[in-house]
Amino acid sequence: MDISVTLFGGLRHYLPAGSSFNKCKIDVDEGSSLAALLQKIPVPPDKPYMVILNDEKVASDQFDEINIQADDEVVLLPPIKGG
Amino acid sequence: MAWQQNILRVNLSKGSCDFEPLNMDWANAYLGSRGLGSKYLYEEMDPAVDALSTENKIIFATGPLTGTMASTSGRYTVVTKGALTGAIACSNSGGKFGGELKNAGYDMLIIEGKSDKPVYLHIEDDKVEICDAGDIWGKTVWETEDILAAKYGDPLMRFAGIGQAGETRCRYACVVNDKHRAAGRSGVGAVMGSKNLKTIAVRGTVGTPAASKEVYHKINEINARMNDREGMARDGTLAMMDVTNGFGSLPTRNNRSVRFEGANKLNPEAMHTPNPDGHTNIVTNGACFGCTIGCGRICKIDPNHWSVKDRPEYQGASGGLEYETAYALGAACGVDDIDAATFAGFICNEYGMDPISLGGSIAAAMELFDIGAIDESTTGGIKLEFGNAEALCQISELAGKGEGFGADIAMGSKRLCEKYGHPDLSMTVKGQEFAAYDGRSMQGMGLAYATSNRGACHLRADPYEHDFDTTEIAGKAQVVAESQRLVAFMDSSGLCLFPAGCGWGTEDYCELVDLVCEGDWNTEARMVETGERIWNLEKLFNLKAGLGKKDDTLPKRILEEPADVGTGKGLVCRLDEMLPEYYAINGWDAEGVPTRDTLNRLGID
Repeated sequence: MDISVTLFGGLRHYLPAGSSFNKCKIDVDEGSSLAALLQKIPVPPDKPYMVILNDEKVASDQFDEINIQADDEVVLLPPIKGG
Repeated sequence: MAWQQNILRVNLSKGSCDFEPLNMDWANAYLGSRGLGSKYLYEEMDPAVDALSTENKIIFATGPLTGTMASTSGRYTVVTKGALTGAIACSNSGGKFGGELKNAGYDMLIIEGKSDKPVYLHIEDDKVEICDAGDIWGKTVWETEDILAAKYGDPLMRFAGIGQAGETRCRYACVVNDKHRAAGRSGVGAVMGSKNLKTIAVRGTVGTPAASKEVYHKINEINARMNDREGMARDGTLAMMDVTNGFGSLPTRNNRSVRFEGANKLNPEAMHTPNPDGHTNIVTNGACFGCTIGCGRICKIDPNHWSVKDRPEYQGASGGLEYETAYALGAACGVDDIDAATFAGFICNEYGMDPISLGGSIAAAMELFDIGAIDESTTGGIKLEFGNAEALCQISELAGKGEGFGADIAMGSKRLCEKYGHPDLSMTVKGQEFAAYDGRSMQGMGLAYATSNRGACHLRADPYEHDFDTTEIAGKAQVVAESQRLVAFMDSSGLCLFPAGCGWGTEDYCELVDLVCEGDWNTEARMVETGERIWNLEKLFNLKAGLGKKDDTLPKRILEEPADVGTGKGLVCRLDEMLPEYYAINGWDAEGVPTRDTLNRLGID
């Protein structure tokens, strides 16, 4: 199933080719964990980010425990500073 | 060394312009710009004077790195007693004015007294004159710059001045340089206006010395370490819009909510994507003097948009929406029209107003309108409803001119809400409007707002990483106190804060200061101690001005009304729990007063 993933700020530099402005679809198997989905997003491991699932922040220790549903929306936010 | 060791002192009452040596003992203790300017103000002036009185002074201070080859070295600070806050005001700006002032041979320009008629200051190296401003008083910032640029005919002359907002004492009038960069906060432009000083025109050919060719090359080597600039250049600070909205810390409709349903119409995607007319808001990015980032937004309003359709003077490219502007003139007012918000931003630059305080004041007025405390008979027929983009644009222009209900908006939200009987609706600290972060979902930012020496401010501390990591308050006081010192040091160097988010660490600032200044500056201990000394001096200024623990607080809404959605849903700011720990970490007593031991340790008399 295709999951909608949005990469904000500098993270959109890592969107797969053919993506729109800041969105892409990531194909995962049904019943996949959030961690499995995140592994398929080509953001380098040295680039930290927060994960927002359906408008709520998810703590990193929950990534393995959450199963992704077909209509989920995942947003990756970089921890940038203010201006 | 990169200090010019030279101050220009202008007394507008006497009509005198004098040169004097920089106090190097103070420079070694307070570095430059924000820190050194604050030291001069503290030593020379009674902090209890009225901000708009003849006795207030206004200082334009550069740092040792201003005007050098170091990246982002265009910064200067306007230091005075703030017209909005009654607290110390240290408003920092980029553009090209600061470098030009430094390159004219001055570390600092101190303005004192008051002219009995409108004047402007003309500086070309050591030629300084106070000139009649009768023909430019009443003009906008843009008109003033165009008139004087044509008069002097030097394309490298730079200007820092006020528009009608400063002339009419709008409490958050700012000093605008290079047409769309500004020393924005706390009402420094109103102080300039109170002195009948319209603008400062400066051209410098003296230059800023680097110690040697080796230092020159070393600076360039450090510049090259800033290797994570791409996101900032492409999206500017506006990238934060999606982060705070996603996290749930984007103040919306006067902080009634922390998430704005229209954020996707004000974000980088909206700025970069052509609208149905085929018009794209952003034209290019822009950089200040010596900057290798280029975070500035240069934008054009759709010429078919109602705000400018019959006003071609606003159809050109100029400074566009940054994150703070998009929040204040967008989400805070419930407005999701990017062209309207851009127009209101243009008005701020043209008339010389801080867009954060303008937007915060309009948002407060919109809530007053919403609850019926004011109506169309008060506003002069304007339906000041949340989300009304036309009302936003109308009232912005009136505030800039000080006309109609705009004169009430120009008082700032604290005075506005007090006037109409609802002081709790003012989202301010020490009279200054919130920046674009909510202190409930970002608890550290709540503490940073409450304790900021210049009133609510997002650039006096760096709690971002900690706040986006957790809403638990453990550790927040330490993060806020420590980062307030680091930011004070960085602000005093003459460089921008943004390299710290683009690949530099604080050690790079230390190394650069050490390269251009005498003495050993390349230690974390000296950086922290210098920053702490500056922070405590600012605090002492405020105490002598009559501010105290009662002013280190937040609006009732942030302390008692839980955040409605997002990561901080259900939370209020736990300021009462953080503040005692914060005072203790600073070596202050329970009332927030620095102890004698703390002042002795920092060498403050």
